[in-house]
Amino acid sequence: MSASRLERLQRAFVRSATFAPDASLVAAVTGGGTLSSAEAVDVYRRGYPARLTSALGETFEACWRVLGDEDFFAVCRAYVARTPSRSHDLSDYGETFPGFLGDGTALASLGVDAPYLADLARFEWAFKELFHAAPVPGLSPAALAAAARPDSRLLLGAAALLSFPHRVYGLWKRDRKNDAPIAEAEWRGEERLLLYKSGGNPIFARELSAPEHAALSALSAGRTLGEALEASGLDEAGTKELFAFAAEARLFREAA
Amino acid sequence: MADAAFVGVGLRSAHYPRLLERPRTKVRWFEAISENYMGSEGRPLEVLLKMREDYPVALHGVSLSVGGVEGPRPGYLERLRRLIDRVDPLLVTDHLCFTGAHASNVHDLLPLPYTEEALKTVARNVARTQEALGRTIALENVSSYLAYRESEMSEREFLVEAARRSGCRILLDVNNAYVSAKNHGFSAEEYVDGVPAELVAQIHLGGYTDMGKFLFDTHSRAPTEPVWELYRRAIARLPGTPVLIEWDEDVPEWETLEAQAVRAARIAEEERERQPA
Ligand SMILES: [Fe+2]
Repeated sequence: MSASRLERLQRAFVRSATFAPDASLVAAVTGGGTLSSAEAVDVYRRGYPARLTSALGETFEACWRVLGDEDFFAVCRAYVARTPSRSHDLSDYGETFPGFLGDGTALASLGVDAPYLADLARFEWAFKELFHAAPVPGLSPAALAAAARPDSRLLLGAAALLSFPHRVYGLWKRDRKNDAPIAEAEWRGEERLLLYKSGGNPIFARELSAPEHAALSALSAGRTLGEALEASGLDEAGTKELFAFAAEARLFREAA
Repeated sequence: MADAAFVGVGLRSAHYPRLLERPRTKVRWFEAISENYMGSEGRPLEVLLKMREDYPVALHGVSLSVGGVEGPRPGYLERLRRLIDRVDPLLVTDHLCFTGAHASNVHDLLPLPYTEEALKTVARNVARTQEALGRTIALENVSSYLAYRESEMSEREFLVEAARRSGCRILLDVNNAYVSAKNHGFSAEEYVDGVPAELVAQIHLGGYTDMGKFLFDTHSRAPTEPVWELYRRAIARLPGTPVLIEWDEDVPEWETLEAQAVRAARIAEEERERQPA
């Protein structure tokens, strides 16, 4: 089926707004005010990267802080140029931004050496996703005590279980007014984190040990409590502590 | 709602903390951007539902793409319907424009050519939308910075005909009418006078920025004096129509925004008193 006149016009408009002015659109319009038709098309083209960059800036605010305006906007320009927005919702934009930062070339071309940045972006994306997630009324301490048997399957409620080869939580929390350069000691080392909601919408964070992270990962993957604890290597004291926290935070729900 | 002034403002996250204190306010209703709540089960929706306990709320979309050849993107109407079911809005509105293609959302209100083909496209998409939502929607005239050589009718004729043919109503944005009138050299007064009263479901009032070569719809400041005058003219003919103050960029303190709503209400009342009984 051949494209209709309106369809061709709209495709030319989308190309012009997101990429480069399309000659067929420029020829088909007249500019408003004293704009030429090319200038008028350009009004729409300039707005596009600005909107997407501002969406990225909202989600990846800490990355922006780390990079500073000039480098952050340069990275965004490169990302926006190759990544169309497909959602109705601007806040869905940027899912692949952490990977883009992580592949190295974008930052290298700016002379930026920040090996932790992609992990910081992953953290921020996970935070944003959790921000929009429905709070889950988790098991009360009493209900958890009753449900915690070796063969029971417990799942996390509204939570994100994260593990990074760099420490990023401190960078994320870093005082906005602290503009001292980031020292290697701030990010060197692995980090495991749990972001969670506790029945309501505020988001909390807890740093996890490697065995705690392994236990919660195994539970999230649908393993029984007995299997998860066994595989994680969590000792008895560690198990107690983790469950005391989980009870208080109402972290778990029972698998259906 | 029978009084002359039923003025609301856009609900913006910057005002959440203030509004959650439940201040006494002269604002009568709120408008929420649908897309900001359709994909969220978190704090934004919690705040919106809290506000809904005290005020009527209208849902205003920016990505329906009712003039797009491809129509609304997959899943969009279903999500919007779910939000409608939770909020029970006063009105559901969007814009008479297209916003991109499914493969690439421009997130902008892109103008349509005023042609028969565009009218048919709008009518088809409105029918699909109203069917999926189970209710009548209203479409807003947008600001534009270019005009198509192939347009077969004026912007006002297109707006009115689109509403008539598709059985939807009109959200008359007087600021957008003013911006487009200045940019394209037509009379804003004739435009506003020429929209049949029975089609108008709501009025928008916002601020533009003068870019020198053209007027730009920025919603980053209070309405300008000529737009207030145009609004006075519109509300005199449309008493009781819900009015909304839009302020989306450089959002001011709550009190500054509220003062705009008070001014809009006062003008509506003055015009009402001027009418013969
Ligand atoms: Fe508007």
